[in-house]
Amino acid sequence: MLRSVKKLFRSNYLFTFGVIICLAWVTAAVLAPVIAPYDPIAQDLTLRLKAPSTEHLFGTDNFGRDIFSRVIYGGRYSLLAGCLTVIIAGGIGTFYGAIAGYVGGWTDNVMMRISEMILSFPSLILAMIINAVMGSNLFNTMFALVIVAWPTYARLMRSVVLSVKENEYVTASEALGASKVRILLREIIPNSISSVLIMATTDIGNQILMFSTLSFLGLGSAPPTPEWGMMVSDGVDYFNKFWVAGFPGLAIFTMAVGANFIGDGLRDLLDPKLRKEF
Amino acid sequence: MKKRFLAIALSLVMAAGCVACGGGTDNASEGGSGSAEGTEGAAGTSEGGSGTVVVAMGAGFSTLDPGYVYEKYPPLIVNACYENLFKFYDNEGAPEPCLADTYEFSEDNLTLTVKLKDGITFASGNTMTSADVLFSINRCKNLQGNPAFIADTIQSMEAPDEKTIVFHLTQPDSAILSKLTYSALAVLDSAVVKEHGGTDAEDASTTDTAQAYLDTASAGSGMYVMTSYIPDEEVVLEKNPNYWGEATNVDKYIIKIQPDANTQMMTLSTGDIDVALNMTDDTMAELSGAEGVEIINAATKTVGFVMMNMNETYGGPVSNPKVQQAIRKALDYSGMQIICGEGTLTPYSVIQSGFMGSKGERAAEYTNVEEAKALLAEAGYADGLDVDLTVSDLDMEGILLTDLAQKIKDDLSQIGINVNIVSQPWAAGYGDAYRDGTLGFTVMYWGTDYNDPNVQLEFLPGGVVGLRAGWTAEMAPELAAMYQETMSATDNNDRTAVLEKIQDAMYEDGPFIMAVQAPAHIGYNTRLEGVAISDPYALDVTLINIK
Repeated sequence: MLRSVKKLFRSNYLFTFGVIICLAWVTAAVLAPVIAPYDPIAQDLTLRLKAPSTEHLFGTDNFGRDIFSRVIYGGRYSLLAGCLTVIIAGGIGTFYGAIAGYVGGWTDNVMMRISEMILSFPSLILAMIINAVMGSNLFNTMFALVIVAWPTYARLMRSVVLSVKENEYVTASEALGASKVRILLREIIPNSISSVLIMATTDIGNQILMFSTLSFLGLGSAPPTPEWGMMVSDGVDYFNKFWVAGFPGLAIFTMAVGANFIGDGLRDLLDPKLRKEF
Repeated sequence: MKKRFLAIALSLVMAAGCVACGGGTDNASEGGSGSAEGTEGAAGTSEGGSGTVVVAMGAGFSTLDPGYVYEKYPPLIVNACYENLFKFYDNEGAPEPCLADTYEFSEDNLTLTVKLKDGITFASGNTMTSADVLFSINRCKNLQGNPAFIADTIQSMEAPDEKTIVFHLTQPDSAILSKLTYSALAVLDSAVVKEHGGTDAEDASTTDTAQAYLDTASAGSGMYVMTSYIPDEEVVLEKNPNYWGEATNVDKYIIKIQPDANTQMMTLSTGDIDVALNMTDDTMAELSGAEGVEIINAATKTVGFVMMNMNETYGGPVSNPKVQQAIRKALDYSGMQIICGEGTLTPYSVIQSGFMGSKGERAAEYTNVEEAKALLAEAGYADGLDVDLTVSDLDMEGILLTDLAQKIKDDLSQIGINVNIVSQPWAAGYGDAYRDGTLGFTVMYWGTDYNDPNVQLEFLPGGVVGLRAGWTAEMAPELAAMYQETMSATDNNDRTAVLEKIQDAMYEDGPFIMAVQAPAHIGYNTRLEGVAISDPYALDVTLINIK
């Protein structure tokens, strides 16, 4: 495994590139108080809407706040939302789908219809409704993202489980008298998880974008929290001052692209059908 | 807001089209800048004559029947085509007689007698009589549309002769003259309106069918007549040939219903429009220094205010009068003015600057962080406090309330108050909580229903807004009593005196802080004179001349 990861780094430059970008953002987010030159929410109206300079690398916004510092801090929210959403939604979806697929019959039918109900709503609209009703803060936004995201995982997991449970080793375990829970946890899930992992890695980028979209629409944390999406929406009012919306926009772009490159690389590594020379 | 980029792109295409077809038309303002037909036609015909003025204004309305007029922009048209007994000739101060010649209140202030001027004719040629006034006001009342509330204090009217109208009021109402200036109470040509299905009977709300006619033509005595109205597109006004008064030298107005600030900015700078009413701070910056364009930044009477609930259950620490004073002292009003843009100002107290009786602006030196800290310590919060500031997703004339909230948070952090902003959409609970008076600490805005300082009386204890802050009449009986005192003060000097007393009482105390009066930005072509901001009419076109 380790050897194939090494190989992946050497042969897949996009993957390497993605890892570098994401590592850079993670470092920036963790070390934000050290890296950021200014307090991200401190206002100074004498410095309103100043263009990028050596003092303020990314310029300042309409409250005179340093956009560079805000972008650095903003990485925390996007990373947290992207990763946590995928972990929670992936976790819920995995178990839900595995149970539905393994147990089958009426249970399967009811469980999958419930998840399809959620899938039948346009995901952005559903997330917006959940957020508007529950009030908007970081936790609720992530909750909304999870609600929207988990059924996709459940569906994928169920379809994989349906084929995995027909394998001889499952029948063998059953014949040995293993309990259903044990079979599910020890045999089914470990042998089906790789496809979910592949999807999860590519999904992080999507969730970061989705989170930024909600935040852009005013459904994220309350201001003055430096969330990238919200910063872009602040900048829309100052369309002739490109740096206000431009830099946070660039941050969203690089983070999403980095996450997607990593996801693609991992898919090449984990998916046996695509595992070319590894 | 998010359509802006599309709008810019579209207007660029439009502008390019105009340049291609129009050739060397300097500042001539031809109509129909978009359609190829219009541009071709305008090149050599009379349509684009120098007597025509093109105005771009905001949307948000669907009728121009005065009986239903309530929104912000229709008064611009109604004021051009119709006239009222009284009118605001100046944006500041008191209403003056227009169709009225003289007026008189009775001793008990319950009766108002108005005499009409002689020789007033409608555009149709009919002579105006007191019967027309009665018809118009009764029609507005009985249509029961949005603006019908304006006639609530008018119990009944009579017309003893052709030139006299007697109003019987339900209670003394010092704002009645201002209310009579309201577009919904414009005087209609009753003969013409009746001919087209109009009625002032009590069942007018179901039997009146004149709206269809009044959406295509006007029936008033104003300087202009409406010749065409295409909803959400444009209104054309032409000079009234039978106008009884003295007219300006503008022959024709083309009013474009085109609210996008960037489009307005571009068309104004190319000379396609002459007046742009919906500019923003940002688009104004683009225009500064442009040749032939003049800019007006002025405060409107829409006010952004901080509300601190007097009820401790909801307000918590901010219900403490000393904390309220500390917050009032700590806010940086000049900073808020910078954020809201050029033209913003902070009123002295509860009555907006520009209203009759207003004490003007609050001095910038009022802000004093040290004094605020001392007040906070006196209140028992020497170590500061934590408080939630609820804010809705609404904007005040384009300024996001969350922007004001962020400024308040920053200002209060200077005196040790840690504000936690909680955003709640208007439709998802904020609106109900605000109306029910269960919000503890919030920043909201207030637009005036009609142009009179009496609208601000609702901020008094026991008033509609006062109660939203848990401020009951029992808490401040003396101040609450000034409501009636103001209503009865029909003499302008008496009225100013009591309004000043109210402003002094609320200058440093109470649950409300009037933080900013939102600005309006108007850009216009320098070939015009007399363009000015107008709260009651958005723009008073009857005062504009071409140089």
